[in-house]
Amino acid sequence: MPGKRYRLGCDIGGTFTDFVLLDDRTGALHVHKCLTTPQDPSDAVEAGIRALSERVPGLVEELDELIHGTTLVINAILERKGARTGLLTTRGFRDVLELGREIRYAPYDVMAEFPEPLVPRRRRLEVDERVRSDGSVLRPLDVAQARRALDELLAQGIESLAICLINSFENPVHERALQRLVGEVAPDLSVSVSCDVLPQIREYERTSTTVTNAYVKPLTGRYLRRLADRVAALGCRSKLFIMLSSGGITSVETAAESPVRIIESGPTAAVIAGQYWGRRFGVPEMFCFDMGGTTAKSCLIQNGRAGVVPTFEVGRVQRFQRGSGLSIQVPVVDLMEIGAGGGSIARISRLGTLQVGPESSGALPGPICYGRGGVEPCVTDADLLLGYLDERYFLGGTMPLDREAARRGVEDRIAKPLGVTFLQAIWGIHDLINETMAAAAKTHIAEKGGNPRLVTVVAFGGAGPVHAYGLARKLGAPRLLVPPNAGVGSALGFFTAPRAFDLVRSHKVSLEAADFAELEGMFRELERAGARTLAQSGAADEPVTFERSIDVRFVGQGAETTLPVPEPDFTRLDRAAVRRRFDEEYTRLYGRTYPEAAVEFIHFRVRARLPERLLEMQRLPADSRPLEQAVKGVRPAYAPGRRDFAPHTVYDRYRLGAGATFDGPAIVEERESTLVVGEGARVRVDEFGFLWIDLPEVP
Amino acid sequence: MFDPITIEILWRRLLSIVDEADSAVARTAFSSLLRDAHDYTCMFTDRRGRELAQGTFATPGQSGALALGIQKLVRRQPLEAYRPGDVFLTNDPWILAGHLNDVCVYAPVFHRGKVVAFSASVFHHSDIGGRVASDNHEVFEEGLFLPPVKLYDAGVANEAVFDILRWNVRTPDEVIGDVRSQIAANHVCSEKIRRLLEEYDLDGLEELADEICDRTERSMRAAIEKVPDGTYRAEGVIEQVEGRPDVVIRCAIHVRGSDIVVDLAGSSPHVDWGGNVVYHFTYAYVFMALKSVFDPDLPNNDGCTRPIRLEAPAGSVVNCTFPVAVAARMQIGHFLTEIVYRALAPVLPDRVIAGSGGTPATMNVLYGRRRDGRPWHTVVIRGGGMGASARRDGAHVYIFPANGANTPVEILENDTPLIVERRELLPDSGGPGRFRGGLGRCEVLRVPEDACAPGTSVSLAMQAGRFRLPPEGLEGGRPGALARFLVNDRPGNPYGLTRLRPGDVVTLDAAGGGGFGDPRERDRDRLAADVADGYVTPEAARRDYGRGGRSSVPPPPSKRSSNPPAPPGASGNG
Repeated sequence: MPGKRYRLGCDIGGTFTDFVLLDDRTGALHVHKCLTTPQDPSDAVEAGIRALSERVPGLVEELDELIHGTTLVINAILERKGARTGLLTTRGFRDVLELGREIRYAPYDVMAEFPEPLVPRRRRLEVDERVRSDGSVLRPLDVAQARRALDELLAQGIESLAICLINSFENPVHERALQRLVGEVAPDLSVSVSCDVLPQIREYERTSTTVTNAYVKPLTGRYLRRLADRVAALGCRSKLFIMLSSGGITSVETAAESPVRIIESGPTAAVIAGQYWGRRFGVPEMFCFDMGGTTAKSCLIQNGRAGVVPTFEVGRVQRFQRGSGLSIQVPVVDLMEIGAGGGSIARISRLGTLQVGPESSGALPGPICYGRGGVEPCVTDADLLLGYLDERYFLGGTMPLDREAARRGVEDRIAKPLGVTFLQAIWGIHDLINETMAAAAKTHIAEKGGNPRLVTVVAFGGAGPVHAYGLARKLGAPRLLVPPNAGVGSALGFFTAPRAFDLVRSHKVSLEAADFAELEGMFRELERAGARTLAQSGAADEPVTFERSIDVRFVGQGAETTLPVPEPDFTRLDRAAVRRRFDEEYTRLYGRTYPEAAVEFIHFRVRARLPERLLEMQRLPADSRPLEQAVKGVRPAYAPGRRDFAPHTVYDRYRLGAGATFDGPAIVEERESTLVVGEGARVRVDEFGFLWIDLPEVP
Repeated sequence: MFDPITIEILWRRLLSIVDEADSAVARTAFSSLLRDAHDYTCMFTDRRGRELAQGTFATPGQSGALALGIQKLVRRQPLEAYRPGDVFLTNDPWILAGHLNDVCVYAPVFHRGKVVAFSASVFHHSDIGGRVASDNHEVFEEGLFLPPVKLYDAGVANEAVFDILRWNVRTPDEVIGDVRSQIAANHVCSEKIRRLLEEYDLDGLEELADEICDRTERSMRAAIEKVPDGTYRAEGVIEQVEGRPDVVIRCAIHVRGSDIVVDLAGSSPHVDWGGNVVYHFTYAYVFMALKSVFDPDLPNNDGCTRPIRLEAPAGSVVNCTFPVAVAARMQIGHFLTEIVYRALAPVLPDRVIAGSGGTPATMNVLYGRRRDGRPWHTVVIRGGGMGASARRDGAHVYIFPANGANTPVEILENDTPLIVERRELLPDSGGPGRFRGGLGRCEVLRVPEDACAPGTSVSLAMQAGRFRLPPEGLEGGRPGALARFLVNDRPGNPYGLTRLRPGDVVTLDAAGGGGFGDPRERDRDRLAADVADGYVTPEAARRDYGRGGRSSVPPPPSKRSSNPPAPPGASGNG
């Protein structure tokens, strides 16, 4: 195969930064994990690349692609640590952001809370201007007045500005004028303009998406530029791709301009990896479970496919409640994220009960046992004290854990105040976080039409394999799958992600009146733009293919039905064929169609993609050594069935050969994670080193 | 028999099925009242017509009334008489949610050759013909009245019904399109039910329905039992057409063990305009109050209604009889929830909220013709500030106790020739209190007089309230601001049909929510933040809270959830 040898996936989480290096010649993987460096996350990236290149000589010169995902963006929103943001909007509409859509998401809960807008009212100012719904100007922009509003926001110390005017999706002339004004008055101010971020009708959704973009733009831009510089300074001349929330990829420039599109960048990788394993092993229903230090992400994958939804919410104030978060209108893989991770803090609630999460201690200070100043007991502390983790083998022994400090913390802050035994306290923390995740998982699985008792749980992330067994038990799932390098396994998704960009153009025209030659011109333009963006990312030498689709609806409807257009030339299609295709799809979805009712085109879409690159999995070498040589020893760990500690056999994952089988209770250690297997379960190692765990029947 | 885990899985699945039907509406509906404002309800029942699941975002008036009405509808003929492909339609207000615009489409769901369920939806259609105003005298003036009829007979369309609909409404394409959306929603629902039954190899839903409903009933009863036996009373006074005495609703809530009887004896008789409420709609908002107080988390089904009985004298405004006018029934019906809250406030002070500006919901119907003669027609709904509670400030601008979303400005302007000049919060409209009532909002509409002016005058009809009697506070909290309806800055008549000409400007101010607790006890930082954000003006801070508002303050708490916890005085359930 021509081209360079290596691809590197890198995922920055709230607590850890994960690396997976793929050698395309051999299929060999090299992994690395280090603590995230919140002050400047590119520190960890650089350190990781350096560490890997010591192990893999020639890495820097032979690096073909660096694919990057990060949870920085979402964490900034969840923790409200984004930029101090201002909003300029049309006179009379400063409250659009706060009013939202005015629907009560829990109709019978009169105490329901609603999320606080990212920009408070005092920093939402109005300008005198108005564009009509047909795009004509009703009232010209008063530039002098706009200047005063801008000055007032600047005086309030804003670091980022969102511009969203009524009807700007029809005619952005005033938004552009404001953008120019900002360029003159405050050239260094970060600006997000709604006609760029989301040129679509409905002012709340557009404002909310634009404001969210503005809120995270300075920090994302700073970070990505520094990252690109540092990677270049190391001597890498690789392509650099950023993972999108939708499962595609984009360039650094585009990501820095539209950070709202990479909000779920990190978690998406795990889903992409899950899709790959689901297809590879033919698992019809797979529940992808990725638990890190701060959050747990999960997603149901049916027949190797996860859903993508056109809109999502961040920061739901009521757990799991649809409608209780900030609305963002960008395509995103349909995953569920909750505040449950190794760093989730255990506390005593106002009602005097144990509460675990959603607050996390993150990388700093982290759990007590990290010895980095943490004083509040976390899930990882409990996992250590339950015997599931080995204080001398955390991250392969590079990060010693302080068991004694953790013990004191749980004793003083949980066990004593609650009046329970130490054992009840540590098991309570572990079990409660599992219960929280199981409840959320059941809802998610059922909503997607799956059955938790049929799913294969696949575990990723540093804490995933530690908790997957307990979670699977609570779900009633029969089987658990743990891929090699599970602690960083989600980063494998970076290699199997479609290397594709999605582009869309809105143009409302009836099927009868549409000029197909003009539409073909529009498709070509979108395709050229897609090819340009791919070239920008450094992939100028690879062939690009395009997939087209159209969004069609009955005249008068408010939403569209998407139809693929496999034909490479729109002018070759006739109206009747397009109409037939619409009627067939509409009947499939809704039972009937109405051929006498007129239809119209709304959006035209193009996906520009580079050739798929497959991931060759490396087979384990034939191994006839006895299982005993993989046993590191036996240590006491908590066995819930016995309500006490029991001896667990500890295996070294790197010494487990293909075909090996053994029974729980057992612990399997690898550098980045630890798998806990309960009593009665059977573990089998397959030819690629995946662990398949059959759980005992739930009584 | 089902084990507990399977029940949980299947229950969640039923809920997600009805939510899928619900989102199919947003994707297929034509009018903005449905696809944007979500004024519709999807549900399905077992073969006996007992409600099993309803959409998460259902509006309580439609869902509560439909749960009663659908039982009567499906039992109009024996099960054997239903055939695959049958689809029925009716808008009888006395069977459904109390006015002609609410149209129900329902259909049997077949599995293994037998009826196993009924899927049903009620949509608030933007037009149903008739004279659109609140001051009609009889239902005959209010539009087309369709008793239960077959829309499809074993899959064959009944074109006569479609034609009758088409010729009686102002915007036939939209109304027919929306009926088709109802058919689509039912289709999605029944397909998914069939798939579920196949997957679990079940013959029907009966056994599962019993399990789910019984569990729900037990949960509701357990909550009611915590309230001491006794009779709790309240009286509601509701404004009506100028010159008539205020409407009075007397409410006695008898709690005996886990049973509740709500008796509305002594309430005012019919009114001579459209504010009359059918029994089902009265029931829906009494139920809304009790469900939200006792068991807000469990999804609704037949089980949670079993402990509740409603008695309302026939011929009263809360159990009106055919053929009185009913179009504006929410102007009175929505008040039932807050009246029940007031009755229960002494025993459940931390479970109820003060009066809300979104009670009643406001509805505006606007229609006319464009310059080129094309008809246009739109319906928008709106709430006001929510009442404050013992736990926190009232939220701004929600419809309560009904539910629904706003119509985006950009959609409204796209669908009509009107210009929206303002849509923003009204400072000082929230009732002062230890916890402040939510703010109302204003909306200012202009009929353009330039080249975009409409071809005819614009008709405006509305249903609204709180023009004279504001939302009350609780526990020493003060009332929220009144609503206003102005045409060119002069008070308009909210009950009649208003004709607007090019250049006219309409101002619609929604009321604010009532406050909770003594305003002098309001947290100083929160008051200062309110002033900095302009929710409360400095003058009002001095006048209503007895304190000066500072103009510059430290940053406010970053989350609304940072409201202080409930004070020790506010105890738990009963």
